[in-house]
Amino acid sequence: MAKKVKENIRNFCIIAHIDHGKSTLADRIIELTGQVAERDMEEQLLDSMDLERERGITIKLTPVRMSYKAKDGKDYIFNLIDTPGHVDFTYEVSRSLAACEGAILIIDASQGIEAQTLANTYLALDNNLEILPVINKIDLASARPDEVAKEIEDVIGLDGSTAPRISAKEGINIEEVLEQIVTHIPAPSGDDEAPLKALIFDSYYDNYKGVICFVRIMDGTVKAGSRIKTFTSNKVFDVVEVGTFDPHLRPKATLCSGEVGYIAASIKTIQDTTVGDTITDADNPAAEALPGYKKVHPVVFSGVFPLDGSKFNDLKDALLKLKLNDASLTFEPDNSIALGFGFRCGFLGLLHMEIIQQRIEREFDLDIITTAPSVSYKVYKTDKTMMVVNNPSHLPDPSDIDYMEEPIVKASIYSPPDYLGPIMDLCQEKRGVFLDMTYLDANRVRLLYKLPLNEIIYDFFDGLKSRTRGYASFDYELDGYEKSDLVKLDMMLNGDVCDALSIIVHREKAYARGRALGEKLKDVIPRQMFEIPIQACIGGKVIARETVKALRKDVLAKCYGGDITRKKKLLEKQKEGKKKMRKLGTVEVPSEAFTSILKIDS
Amino acid sequence: MAGIYVHVPFCKSKCTYCDFASYPSEAGKAELYFACLYKEMKARANQYKNHKFDTLYIGGGTPSFVDEKYIVGVVKQAKEKFNLAPDAEITIEMNPGTVTEKKLDAYRNAGINRFSVGLQSADDKMLLKLNRIHTLSDYLETATMLKGENFNADALIGLFDQTTDDLKKTLDVISESGATHVSMYALKAEDGTPIYTNYLNGELPDDDTVAELYAFGVDYLASLGFNRYEVSNFAKPGYRSKHNENYWKRGEYIGLGVAASSHMENRRFNNIPYIDDYVKCIISGYFAEENSEVIEGDEIKNEFIMLALRTEDGIDRKEYKKLFGTDFATEFANELSKNAAVTDVSRSRVKIRPEYLFVQNSIIVDFLK
Repeated sequence: MAKKVKENIRNFCIIAHIDHGKSTLADRIIELTGQVAERDMEEQLLDSMDLERERGITIKLTPVRMSYKAKDGKDYIFNLIDTPGHVDFTYEVSRSLAACEGAILIIDASQGIEAQTLANTYLALDNNLEILPVINKIDLASARPDEVAKEIEDVIGLDGSTAPRISAKEGINIEEVLEQIVTHIPAPSGDDEAPLKALIFDSYYDNYKGVICFVRIMDGTVKAGSRIKTFTSNKVFDVVEVGTFDPHLRPKATLCSGEVGYIAASIKTIQDTTVGDTITDADNPAAEALPGYKKVHPVVFSGVFPLDGSKFNDLKDALLKLKLNDASLTFEPDNSIALGFGFRCGFLGLLHMEIIQQRIEREFDLDIITTAPSVSYKVYKTDKTMMVVNNPSHLPDPSDIDYMEEPIVKASIYSPPDYLGPIMDLCQEKRGVFLDMTYLDANRVRLLYKLPLNEIIYDFFDGLKSRTRGYASFDYELDGYEKSDLVKLDMMLNGDVCDALSIIVHREKAYARGRALGEKLKDVIPRQMFEIPIQACIGGKVIARETVKALRKDVLAKCYGGDITRKKKLLEKQKEGKKKMRKLGTVEVPSEAFTSILKIDS
Repeated sequence: MAGIYVHVPFCKSKCTYCDFASYPSEAGKAELYFACLYKEMKARANQYKNHKFDTLYIGGGTPSFVDEKYIVGVVKQAKEKFNLAPDAEITIEMNPGTVTEKKLDAYRNAGINRFSVGLQSADDKMLLKLNRIHTLSDYLETATMLKGENFNADALIGLFDQTTDDLKKTLDVISESGATHVSMYALKAEDGTPIYTNYLNGELPDDDTVAELYAFGVDYLASLGFNRYEVSNFAKPGYRSKHNENYWKRGEYIGLGVAASSHMENRRFNNIPYIDDYVKCIISGYFAEENSEVIEGDEIKNEFIMLALRTEDGIDRKEYKKLFGTDFATEFANELSKNAAVTDVSRSRVKIRPEYLFVQNSIIVDFLK
C-alpha cells in the first residue's frame, strides 16, 4: 500500500503544566489564522464548559481546524487539539496525542519546568511526537527566558535555543510559532485507497445526531452514506454526516487520511463506540485495529448517591453519558444503609472527582451526595484469600483480616529550594519516605518521595501549595502496594454507625482523624430536637466524642400586623434546606457532612 | 370573623431594633396621611361592603403619638363606612410617655376598648439603650390611667445581658400594673437596623440564653395567671386578643395605611411601605397595594397549618376536616409519627407540645406541602 504524505496538513496539540498558558496560546493561534471572527472571539475559546471557564482550566480536549498561509507561500491546514494540564487528566492528554504528529510544549518563562511539563513531555515522547518547545510569558518582569532555555536543554534534552520566545497574552511572536509548526512538525501520512482506519479519540452524545465520534483518519476515507462498524462492537451504522471542527461542528463532504474530524452515524447507544476503538468500513474492513489506548485505572473512589432516592435512574443515565467522553470514569451500583442506592465511582484523582460531581449537578441538574474519597486496598484474609476493597463499608471483620496493603505513589515535587523544609515536613506528616533530591538549576529542586496514596488524596496538594506560597508543583505515578497498619474508623450518630461516613486510615492517624472529623460533623450537623452524640470508633471502641446540643430556639416571633407572607417564605426556605438533608435514623444530616473529611486538617 | 388593621407610621423616634414602617422625621405629614387613610378606608369599605368585621386594630409606629383627633377619625370612619360589629374589639397601640388623660378619654369616647402599651423592659438603662422614649415611671403613669381596663403590655426577651431576674422584674411590673394580657416576644435583630451591629458584635444573648429566658417567662407568667395561647401571647382568662387570634385562624383582614397587610377573599397583599408613594396612589384614586398573591390549593392548607401550630390549641381536627375534607391525623400520619415526641394528638386536636413551641419552625416545616 502506498502511504502518501499529506504535505499541507499539520496535526498537533499543546501540552504544558497547568497555568503556563495553553488556552491563551490556542486563542492567539485561532485568532491569527482568522478562524473565528473577532467579534465571536472570547477568552478560552476552546473551553466550552462553564466549569472550565469559571476555574480557568481545561478539562476536556477540544479540536479545532484552521487554515494558515505560511511564509513559503503555501496554504496549510492545522488541526489543533487543546488538552488539559492537571495531573488527573493525563489520560485526556494521551488521547489527544495519538491523533497528532507533534506537540507544542509551553514553558512559563518565569516558572520554568514544572511537574506536568515533564510528565506531558514524556507522554508525547512515548507517542513518538515531535516536540516544539515554546517559552511563554516573556512579558512578565520575572521572566528569565535564557535560564528556561537552558533548563529545556538540561532537563528535557531538547534544543532550547530555537524555541520561540512569546507572550500569548500580549500576542508577541505568535507568528514564529505558526512557522515552526509548519517547519518542525511532520505532516501526517496515510493511504486514501486503503480500507478505512479511524481512531476514535473522543465522543459525546448529541440529542439530535446521536453519538458524535471525534476521529483521526489514519487510512482510507469516509463520507456521508459510508457503512461503518467498529472493531469491538461489529454493529453496522450508516454515516449521516462527517465534518471538521471550527471549533463547532462543520459538515464536509469527505474526510480522508491524515485529517481530524467527526463522524455522526445515528448511533444511539453509548456503549457502541468506545474511545480508543477503531472505526472501519463495514464492507471493506481493515485487517487489524489501531493500537488504541492503554486502559486507565481509577485511583480514587467515592460513593455518589442521588439526594432524591427516586432519581437513581437519572443518575445512572448521567454517569453513562459522562462516561461516553470520559472513559476513565468507572462506576458500579452501590448501596448504603444511610444513603440508599447509588454508585461507587472511580476517578483519576480528586480534581477529576470534583469535576465529575459538578458536571452531574450542572449538566444533568441532579442533586447528589458524595461520600469521602477512598483508595483501593488489598485485604489479605486469614483464610488466605485476597480481596480488593475501595469502599470502607465492605471491609471484612477485623478478625478475618490477616494484613492489609495500601497503594503507594512515587511523587515528584518541583520547588524553589527555599521551601525544602516545609515540603519535607509535609511529606513526613503524610507518612512519606524520602527517595532522592536533584537540583535542576540553582532555583529549582526536584524531590522524590514515596507516599501512601490515601494521604495525598485529601489535602496534600492544597497543603503543598500553601506551604510553598504556590511555588511548588507536584506529579505522581502509582508504584505498587505496601503492607500497612490500617484500621476502619466509624462515625456513630446518636448511637448508630453511619456507613457512609466510615473511612480507612492508618492506625497512628486514626485518633486525630476521628477527633477532627467529629468536630467537623458537630459544625455541619444543625441542632435538632434532641441532643445528638457524635462518636468516632475503631472496632467498637469509642476514641472521640462530640455533642450537637438540642435545638432551643427556632421560632418566628410576632406576626406583626398580620404579615403572614413573609413568615411563609421563611418557612418555605427552611423546608427547602431540610429537604436537602438525609435522615439517618433519627438524625437529619446535610449532604456536606459526607465530605467533611476533605475539610479537616490532619 | 374578620378584622380591620390601620397603620399609623409616625413615632417620636425610632427604636434601635425597629424594622417596621415608622418615620419619625415625617410627623409633619400626618394631616395629609390621615386624609388619604380615610379615603382609602372609604374605598375599601365599598369594595368589601358585604363583609362583616369584628375587630379594629390601630397599630404602628406609635398611634398614641399623633393628635387624638386623627385616631378618633379612624374609629369613626371604621364604624361609619365598614360593617363593624357594635361590640367590636377596638385596640390601639400606645407608648408610655405619649399618653395623656385627655387622649385616653378621646379614645374611650370614640369606642376604643382595648389598649396595648409598649413597655418592653422595666429597666430604664435598657430602655435608653434601645432608644425607647420612655422610662419605667412613664409606663406606671400610663398603666395607672388604664387601671381596671383591658390592656396589654409588651415585654422583650433577648436584650443585652438580660437575666431571668431582669425579665422577672419586667413581668412583675406588668402584672402589678393590672394588665390583662402580655405579649412576650424575642427580639430579632434585622439587617439594616442599628441593633444588627450589636448582634454582629456578639452583644446580644445567644439562642440558648434566649430559650432559657423564654422558658422562664412562660412559667412565671403562668404563675401570675397569664396563660400562653400563642407562642408570644399570654392572657388572663377571657382576655385573648380577638384581632390576633383571627390571624392564626387564617381569618380575613383588611390592612389600611402604609405597609399594612391584608388577607381578603383568598388573596394576600400589602400596601406600599413609603408614605409619599402611598399618598400619591391614594390621591390619584388608586389602591396603594403591591405583592398581591392569590392563595390556592396546598398553599391554603400550608397557611392553615403553620398558623394553627403556632397556638397552644393547635389544629382543630373537626375544623380541618370541614375545610379540607380529610382528617389531619390520617393525612399526616407519617409526619406525626416522625414528630411523635414533640406533638400531642388527641381526638379533637393536634398540637405541638407546649415545651416545644419555641422550636416550632423545624416541626412545622414537616407538615408543609
